[in-house]
Amino acid sequence: MFTHIYIEDSIAEHPRTQDLCARFPDATRVACAHYGEVFNPKAQDFRLQKAQPSLILAGKQGKLVLEAPQGYGIGGDRNYYFSHMLNCLYDCRYCFLQGMYRSANYVLFVNYESFEDEISRLAESDPRPAWFFSGYDCDSLALEPVSGFATHFLPFFAAQPHARLELRTKSTQVRTLLNRQPLTNVVVAFSFTPREMHRSLEHRVPALERRLDAMVQLQQAGWSLGVRFDPLIYQQNYQTHYRELFCEVFRRLDADRLHSVSLGPFRLPRDYFRTISRLYPNEALFASPLTVTNGMVSYRQDLESELTGFCTGELRSHVPESLLFPCTVAA
Amino acid sequence: MINIVTAFPGEARPLIEPLGLTDRAARGGYTLYHNDHRRLLISGAGKVQTAAAVGWLRGADPARHQAWLNIGIAGHGNGHIGAGLLAHRITDMATGKNWYPPQVHGLSLPTDNLLSVDRPETGYPVNCLYDMEAAGFYPVACRTTTTELVQCYKVISDNRDNPVAGVTQEQGEALIADRLTDICRLVTALERLSDRVTSRQIAGNSLARFTNHWHFTVSQRHQLERLLVRWDARLPDQPVWCDELQTRQQASQVLHWLEHRLDTEPVRLD
Repeated sequence: MFTHIYIEDSIAEHPRTQDLCARFPDATRVACAHYGEVFNPKAQDFRLQKAQPSLILAGKQGKLVLEAPQGYGIGGDRNYYFSHMLNCLYDCRYCFLQGMYRSANYVLFVNYESFEDEISRLAESDPRPAWFFSGYDCDSLALEPVSGFATHFLPFFAAQPHARLELRTKSTQVRTLLNRQPLTNVVVAFSFTPREMHRSLEHRVPALERRLDAMVQLQQAGWSLGVRFDPLIYQQNYQTHYRELFCEVFRRLDADRLHSVSLGPFRLPRDYFRTISRLYPNEALFASPLTVTNGMVSYRQDLESELTGFCTGELRSHVPESLLFPCTVAA
Repeated sequence: MINIVTAFPGEARPLIEPLGLTDRAARGGYTLYHNDHRRLLISGAGKVQTAAAVGWLRGADPARHQAWLNIGIAGHGNGHIGAGLLAHRITDMATGKNWYPPQVHGLSLPTDNLLSVDRPETGYPVNCLYDMEAAGFYPVACRTTTTELVQCYKVISDNRDNPVAGVTQEQGEALIADRLTDICRLVTALERLSDRVTSRQIAGNSLARFTNHWHFTVSQRHQLERLLVRWDARLPDQPVWCDELQTRQQASQVLHWLEHRLDTEPVRLD
């Protein structure tokens, strides 16, 4: 899977590092003083690297858990996000990671215990429940066989009464969850776009049916699930595409047992958009009717309102209003 | 375009014919072998000479996204004589600065650490490659292109059991010649990557036709480029150069027409 594994000196002896290296005995190991030496240099080509990313093992320092932006959440008062990993197995054309990072290599922060300490501290600092969102800078489950992220963090969250965890994924790697009792304070959220957009924009992402199969299994096992229609993508006949998607999703899932359904329009910071559209100049998505407002690229206001309004209206016929959470992150 | 830099003529000689570098020229104090899409320059030994050679090559053809390859013989602590290795980490012994050339996609050549030293290494204290050029070559080449297109390939000529003092020019030449298959694969792989990056730079195929027909200010020209790229992405089957467009009198009307068409045409992503 990996031809090269870069290993930050500070975690070279970490048991998780040793374990990972043992699982990839043929990979060439390269020592580095700090992961940024490999990950951050200018003039790297994300698109070329995406064809064969390497794995970088590092220790996360500084602020390990960050406050989520205003408006980001699913009903909680306190919202945080954390990233045990940078970059994603999948190659979604709309993904902001392509614009945010110079490298497509995967950085895995192996010091999970440091994240736990910070999560515990924040969760216990206030009696109100705190939500912790994983899957912001990566897919929470896609690399589970390598990272063991869920395997490690689920028992930890089981012992955190004030903490709530959202695992955000497009993956079908749910074996870890199916092999244990469901947790009431964990939501497994799957994101979807219509089949046609999945085909043209979500490269390497499992098919809609397979992801729904995974969700059905989880729901039957008693896990709390979220559905994320994010980003909403505009195209000709989007009404038909989204109507079909919603029908398919809610035909397979028991909507009354879902934790939440959220939707968010396509948005990218202007600098990220510029970088990504240069990487993929022939991508029709970036030639859509877009506009820049306060440094964010989004669909023209009339199109965004039309798209969001239509999807919200359609979703109301499938799920109770109390489960619907439009993303309201300020532009 | 790929640029190959070697320190010595003996390292270059085995490459000239197989890589089709049939034209030879003496320019800027360097010996340059080249054809339409490949250039090979003999830089002389050491970091400074190599960095200067890269700079000169860059100045001679400033086109972006060219590939760069440093080829040469090198020492190694315990490596087999004749083994060919790509550098996955280059360390400048004098400054301690490190660089990490990314892997070449689709190419499974072995890799190792490379220590660039200022004098020939005779003690081989570490089991890694030793050369005198890479730390001059890599950072300068990376200023001109994306790092995936810059690589250092070394053939082991000496080690603890076979010190550098015993290596002759003929032996060095033969060692490079023995790795020609791998070198040709590497050159081809880098050229393919370079082509892939270069192909993204086309800012609308019709730009010259527009600028010949109407007068665009610098700002309008940038706007035009962006609109033509969008047109190619959104409406690849519709020729932009049509009768309706040509009735526009001024550049501003042309831009308005393009923008209007792009905003009103149905968006199709499939």
